[in-house]
Amino acid sequence: MVLAKLAPHLLSWAGIVLAMGRGFSGRRSVVAAGAIVGFPLGVAGACLLSRAYPGDFSFAIIRDIVGGSFLLLWGGAVAAIYSSTVREFPRSWGERLANSPFCAGAVALSSGMIAGAISACRLVGTYNTLPPFLLLALAASILALAALAVERALAASFPVSHSGLMASVVALLLFSASSIIRLDLFSPLTMKLMKFSHDFVHQFFESMLIPDHLFIRTYLWGYIGLLFGNGVGFWGALILWFTPAVLVALAIQWERLPSVAHIRQGAQRRRLLATGIRARRFRLVIPVLAMVVLAAAVYRSRFPSVEYWDPKPLPISASPSGDIFIPKKGDVDLEDGKLHKYLFKQGGREARFFVLMTPAGKLTVDLDACAICKPDGYGQAEGTVICYYCKTLIPLETVGQPGGCNPIPLPFTEKEDGVHIDGLTLLNMWGTNAQSTARVKGGGK
Amino acid sequence: MLFRILKNSFLKRPKAVFLVFLSITMGAAVATAFLGIAGEVSHKMALELRSYGANILLEPSALEGGGFLREEDLPKIKTVFWKYNITGFTPYLFGVAEFSANGKHERGIVSGTWFNKELVVPGEESTVQGIKVIAPWWDVQGGWPQAADDAVIGAALAKRLGLSVGGQVEATVRGTGQRFRVAGIVTTGGYEEEQVFAPLVTVQSLLRQQGKVSRVLVSALTVPMDAFGRKDPATMSKDEYEKWYCTAYVTSVAKNVEEVMAGSRAKPIWQIASAEGALLKKLNSVMLLLTILALGASATAVSTSLMASMAERSPEIALMKAVGADRFQITAIFVGETLIISLCGGVIGYLLGDQLAELISRTVFNSTIASPLWLFPTAIVSAFVVAVAGSVAPLRRALRIEPVRVLKG
Amino acid sequence: MSTTIIETGGLTRNYGDICALKPLDLKVPEGEWLSVMGHSGSGKSTLLNLLGGLDRPSNGSLRVGGEDMQGLTEDGLARFRREFVGIIFQQHHLIPYLTAVENVMMAQYFHSVPDEAEARLALERVGLGHRLKNRPSELSGGEQQRVCIARAIINSPKLLLGDEPTGNLDHKSTLMVMELLKELRAEERFTIVMVTHNPEVAAWGDRTIYLDDGILVREERTRS
Repeated sequence: MVLAKLAPHLLSWAGIVLAMGRGFSGRRSVVAAGAIVGFPLGVAGACLLSRAYPGDFSFAIIRDIVGGSFLLLWGGAVAAIYSSTVREFPRSWGERLANSPFCAGAVALSSGMIAGAISACRLVGTYNTLPPFLLLALAASILALAALAVERALAASFPVSHSGLMASVVALLLFSASSIIRLDLFSPLTMKLMKFSHDFVHQFFESMLIPDHLFIRTYLWGYIGLLFGNGVGFWGALILWFTPAVLVALAIQWERLPSVAHIRQGAQRRRLLATGIRARRFRLVIPVLAMVVLAAAVYRSRFPSVEYWDPKPLPISASPSGDIFIPKKGDVDLEDGKLHKYLFKQGGREARFFVLMTPAGKLTVDLDACAICKPDGYGQAEGTVICYYCKTLIPLETVGQPGGCNPIPLPFTEKEDGVHIDGLTLLNMWGTNAQSTARVKGGGK
Repeated sequence: MLFRILKNSFLKRPKAVFLVFLSITMGAAVATAFLGIAGEVSHKMALELRSYGANILLEPSALEGGGFLREEDLPKIKTVFWKYNITGFTPYLFGVAEFSANGKHERGIVSGTWFNKELVVPGEESTVQGIKVIAPWWDVQGGWPQAADDAVIGAALAKRLGLSVGGQVEATVRGTGQRFRVAGIVTTGGYEEEQVFAPLVTVQSLLRQQGKVSRVLVSALTVPMDAFGRKDPATMSKDEYEKWYCTAYVTSVAKNVEEVMAGSRAKPIWQIASAEGALLKKLNSVMLLLTILALGASATAVSTSLMASMAERSPEIALMKAVGADRFQITAIFVGETLIISLCGGVIGYLLGDQLAELISRTVFNSTIASPLWLFPTAIVSAFVVAVAGSVAPLRRALRIEPVRVLKG
Repeated sequence: MSTTIIETGGLTRNYGDICALKPLDLKVPEGEWLSVMGHSGSGKSTLLNLLGGLDRPSNGSLRVGGEDMQGLTEDGLARFRREFVGIIFQQHHLIPYLTAVENVMMAQYFHSVPDEAEARLALERVGLGHRLKNRPSELSGGEQQRVCIARAIINSPKLLLGDEPTGNLDHKSTLMVMELLKELRAEERFTIVMVTHNPEVAAWGDRTIYLDDGILVREERTRS
């Protein structure tokens, strides 16, 4: 269950380790150590971060780090294209650095940390106990070792260049991040670009909105108007998104072939050239795969997978006076429009309820049961909640109103900082409504 | 060099290349057309299943009420047990009228209805009801009626009367006349295109049927009917009955609504819809089968024509082998050729198939379809599949050619 | 004496019941020009096909350039053909829809990468610098055979095989082709094995062997 949720992240992590093992062949042990240390560190870091700054802030930090790696890829891609086309590029020190064990370890460690943090973000909020996170770290370590074993078995004629390694690692990280809505980078990029193009037009062209301006003729406005089009953000972001990988591929394509001018015999010369070309084609495979992964990331960002939001009930207890208090911005953000389930136990009696912000912006507290069905509870789908027992869909707008198969509303008081519920009322209402058929445990289905 | 070889070999044998191209194009076109229609049909079905459309029809039961329902009962629909699952409803009042506009006369149906009416029910939150809510797929050119004498006119009727948005149409019923301004023209692909839709109040006074309604269409969020829902409640155990009772099957919602509307009989439309659905499903599988057959036929055609050209080409393949081409290089030349042809065939086939789909859906289904974006890759992929499937046998034969036998002397 | 490039031991080739080549033992030193004579059906073409890697022996050992031909896969044979041998056919066998220079480039393409400048040079070397862009149908028999020679030598083979290369040519063209081969051999130092039934052509070689009904019946050295 946990692992199924994490599958895209773990898969991309295996891909990252595979690529790193290939890219730093000869330094496998360093890579393995860096990866296996880095991933759990990342997981722990993300957990601590989300503890310290609940809410969106910790996600924003991780997203910015992923974004930073994307910028780094841009830099690497530009450097790669520069070095493959310009002869006087001082490559020696850069190459020495890239070949050092320090570099291999640092890359493995940092990408492990980022990948770990991203994967942990998937679990933060849903799970609050340690085991899922330990499972994640364990699975990642096993996968890393497995990926390195697979890498060893691959044919030697399949090299990964440094720029290709960078492209593939960053692409896989972006893919991993794109399946978590709050870490997704492509949509913000689209938005930023849209805003930028609007601002740009305002800043630059407004001053020129003079009839018969010297340079800006009226018909030009037809073209400037294009910058306001709806597609600008999307297409522009696509260009920014794919350019580094394309640059890396071009850099490899433009790499100079081995010098053959000194070989007099035509056949030998051509054979050498053919070998060079074949090797270059093999090196191109990785950047092309990176582009495919990037495309997958865009797809996931555009069409996030709709799934039932099926939260585990969080245990909650009342104060001595019998008052249950749930803070609005605590471990969970009550106002995020999602269904938050709680399990309340007192004196051998228990009751399940949930808090939800309706699309109208009103908080509502309801029993996790309706007046007639067995209390199997509710899940949330797009625009509706669904009763697990009779599979009836209930529009989100009507949650909080009594009747039908709607969840039974609970009286509550909403304060500035949170929601107060009376524990005894809750237990009594559960008792009368959810009847003796109640199977409280486990949160339904 | 590969491209030089391919180019020259194309130019050398235009007839064979054209034959292959033709069969691939046909295959891609047929696949595009059939899959497009099938996809669109199931899309429409899915819309229905998601209960966007009306799924309960309220009609006067023939015995009482003189064949009409009472308009004043309508708000009660929002007070029933399943009220939250009823996402919308619309009343209709039908009458036959003589329409005249621009000197042309037509006999047709005038329906009074709600378009976008705010309904206030005491004790409940106010909601918006009407056609706009329960029939979001209506394609209205122009706008929705605002004033009491605004109307929406069906596209087919508008065409016959030569009406356009902003025009005037006169409706006459038993000597009473009413002039409507055409606010919008609606295209639905159904019987709606033959009617004039006007605000309920106006039509009531035109037909002299104040406060009356001939039918109500209700749209409810329901659970798809399954075997359990069709069971007779009388035979159920206590647990089962409880579950049946609290499940929003269309039958239970219909029963619910019927109880509050005096003199009404509620018919779940699913009875019609599911029969239709079964038919469409059958149609879909026939389409799929036809597509596969068509693709298979064109793959066979590709295979035959490639085989035929193989006899003519075997000396050149033998020569290439003698000069040192290995199997990979021979395959590259062959597959390269068919892939280029199939790319062209896929694009042309898509364009043709799109037209074909439109033609079929217009003549057979009497509705227009918007070609979905995924059809293009489908066309290209089916062209590739045809090409690859068709070139397997010829390629195997090409790889088996022995230079010694062919290059005697 | 230089190293041996071709060495056969008990080499046979059967087509069903017909034995095209009876057990044959033959050694060809590197750089030799060997002529193979015999009337049609004597097994000389079979021998040539075996040497060129176009056919596999039924029995016996065959080593060409240190490579055991029995042990090569089909793709291995293809590699051997493109890297080690050049073949000149009696019927030329040029691709009709490609120009002279493209026909030569095709051999380069299968070998490694095409190089048009080099292909032009090769055609100029065989005296066809003025007919680069002509298709085979626009060339005379002698010219076609020279394109064929250019194609055969473009990948610097160690072994050049000729299957009656002058069989379809008139006397003058034959002389021209033979002269050309002699010149090229002097420069490139490849070994030639040439099948012919024309004693005059056979006399260009260093040594001539006579096959009859798949058996080596006689061999003689040509006095230079």
